[in-house]
Amino acid sequence: MSDAPTTSDGLRVFKPKPSLPPPPATTGVIGWMRFNLFDGIGSSITTVIGLLLLGFLAISFYEWAFVRGVWEAASRQECRLSPTEFGTCWAGVEFWFTRFIYGRYPDAEIWRLDLMAIVFIAWMAPLWAPKVTAKVMVGLSAILVFPFMAGYFFLGGDRNWFMAIMVAVSMTWFAGTMIHVAACLLTGKGLGHWIITLSGFSSRDDRTHKYPLLMAAVVAFGIVYFVIQSWQLPIVGTNHWGGLFLTLVISGIGIASALPAGIVLALGRRSEMPVIRVMCVTFIELFRSVPLITILFMATTMFPLFLPEGVVFNKLASAIVAVCLFSAAYMAETVRGGLQAIPKGQYEAAEAMGLGYWQSMGLIIMPQALKLMIPNIVGSFIGLFKDTTLVSIIGLFDLLGMISAISQDPQWIGLHHEPLFTAALIYFIGCLAMSKYSQHLERKLGAGDRR
Amino acid sequence: MKKLSLLGLGAGLLAALSFTAEPAVAESTLDIVKKRGHLRCQIGTPAPGFYNLKSDGTWVGSDVSVCRAVAAAIFGDPNKVEFQSVTSTVRFTALANGESDMLSRTATWTLFRDTQLGLNFTATNFYDGQGFMVPKDSGIKSSLELKGATVCVLTGTTTELNLTDYSRTNNLDIQPVVFQDTNVRNETYLKGGCDAITNDKSGLASNKAGFPDPGAHTILPETISKEPLAPAVRKGDGQWYDIVRWTVFALIAAEEMGITQANVDDMAKNPPSPEVARMLGVEGELHKGLGLDKSWAHWIVKSVGNYGEIYGKYMGDKSPDGIGIARAGSQNDLWTRGGLMYAPPFR
Repeated sequence: MSDAPTTSDGLRVFKPKPSLPPPPATTGVIGWMRFNLFDGIGSSITTVIGLLLLGFLAISFYEWAFVRGVWEAASRQECRLSPTEFGTCWAGVEFWFTRFIYGRYPDAEIWRLDLMAIVFIAWMAPLWAPKVTAKVMVGLSAILVFPFMAGYFFLGGDRNWFMAIMVAVSMTWFAGTMIHVAACLLTGKGLGHWIITLSGFSSRDDRTHKYPLLMAAVVAFGIVYFVIQSWQLPIVGTNHWGGLFLTLVISGIGIASALPAGIVLALGRRSEMPVIRVMCVTFIELFRSVPLITILFMATTMFPLFLPEGVVFNKLASAIVAVCLFSAAYMAETVRGGLQAIPKGQYEAAEAMGLGYWQSMGLIIMPQALKLMIPNIVGSFIGLFKDTTLVSIIGLFDLLGMISAISQDPQWIGLHHEPLFTAALIYFIGCLAMSKYSQHLERKLGAGDRR
Repeated sequence: MKKLSLLGLGAGLLAALSFTAEPAVAESTLDIVKKRGHLRCQIGTPAPGFYNLKSDGTWVGSDVSVCRAVAAAIFGDPNKVEFQSVTSTVRFTALANGESDMLSRTATWTLFRDTQLGLNFTATNFYDGQGFMVPKDSGIKSSLELKGATVCVLTGTTTELNLTDYSRTNNLDIQPVVFQDTNVRNETYLKGGCDAITNDKSGLASNKAGFPDPGAHTILPETISKEPLAPAVRKGDGQWYDIVRWTVFALIAAEEMGITQANVDDMAKNPPSPEVARMLGVEGELHKGLGLDKSWAHWIVKSVGNYGEIYGKYMGDKSPDGIGIARAGSQNDLWTRGGLMYAPPFR
């Protein structure tokens, strides 16, 4: 009756039928859509309306940006008279694009900014490269040494003795770093190793190894110093700085100073020494309870009133100082929040180990706290990056300032949708990059799943 | 790490930025400017015709030309100017605190400002006046027909106050809609968010030029306020005041005497009249009182042209930088042609 297989002694063997595939409507794209988009009448209606809206927006945007887009015109009037009528004037954005990026920086000197961007990237890139040794040194030097070179290239002009030395140090250091990285990548051994080997010190006592290194550094510095001694760049005053370049300078300095200053302030606020605590609390509360724009106005217009007559403080410098103070106050509270998240047991454990205050902070508390704080810290950085647009109100031409300048140019008068869209895109890319980097950092440090 | 790395950039930049300190003794502004090597001239954030940023990063415009003219009078070089673009909220503070040597921006000369803000207005270089713009198809022919209308206006200037005054005087019950930003105000107006825009007429003209269909809007004939726009200097330095004042007069006088950028060299070689000779420094000692070189006026005209040339370039419709405001018969025409531009004699 049954054709089921049997064993030799007549027992039937159970052999299940292959299971049926799941109903076609529950798998794949269709299944996903059924469960996520059309799960019941209400959900279906929402989906349809949502899709219609989205489609409408996408089509309108496509039409605005591309169908009506005009890429070649000499004035806004020409964009209007284009075959598509009332064209979207990308030609204006194109025409002004250099200014959006570099502000009023003279065309002939723009290479200086590009060069410094390349140098900075080259200096930082080895941190992600395999096989490179002494990464901490490379990173720290990019923080502490590079700025002197960048500052001089941005500003130009005369160098006083301090800047003369620091620019030479910075350049020597950069050259050394690059040779070191090349040596690491090609031979697997760093620059230090090769200097010691080539100078014949490798067989001697380790303690003598610093002499050839020092010697090489001094000789290299000497050469660079004398080569660039008579070399000078034309001066470009800070009132020529602008566009994305200025935005990056202000937010870069603000971001870079915010974290260390914030840590110091947060520790000060939790300190048991009353004077330090009161000072930190006052600073933090003062700067947190005043809007950034007020601080900027105070720094640029009120502050000079208190100075002796004739002393003029650089407007950009005052704006940068204002931004730094403001962001430090915010960062302090972020850091304090992180410190409070560390259980008391950790502090006690550190004490039990016999660690002093700075050791326990540096080795036990801060590494844990900073990991926890990454999302908040990056949140503040992103906020700061966008807050720098406020400097356009005190007459600095940051990216947004340049954007509003184009709409007042008689040839492109009233053109502001397209430039604003461009600026939004630039800010979006910048903020997204920061956000993605923080997520990468969180994953790498395992901050999310630590506890 | 990457974020941290920017820390040093800050330190380095702050070290590199120079905080210029000058001796605190009471020097004359002219001496300070000469010693510094350039003029610090305050202008506003870009406004069509008056001060505009070009896509090559240079400043142009009629008020910018006044700055350049003063620099030319002092140094013989119109480029020895540092332009300080300052928002209107802090314009007078920035002059009072010594940040700027002079201010050449669309600031209206009023009694209050002239007497209580520690500054002096020098000489009017543009006569403006507030007006209204309406869509042509609204059928409005006069601003007195704006009864109960909503009017878009920019905040923070005399414009807003004039509107309220005008509405009260004429029982118009105008509803002001206040904006911070010109572009947003214009968008609102174009989308029908208000019945009319009010602004200085020069501003209305340039706004209109930027509209999708300029022909569909009309500027009403009434002028509801007097807006004499003049460069200003800090109070207390009479010589500096004279320099700026007479620079403006030199521009006007040059037009009156027919001296242009093109012919000024020939005129100086071969002065057609004693007054031209005196002005261009060929005869007389007029420059002494100003403390300038005898060629000061020659340099001015050589560098920026006369008043009419500047007007044509930036306010008129002859050049791509112009905003298209007709000059003939207006207040900004020369007094010899029925306008108000008048310079005292050069003697």
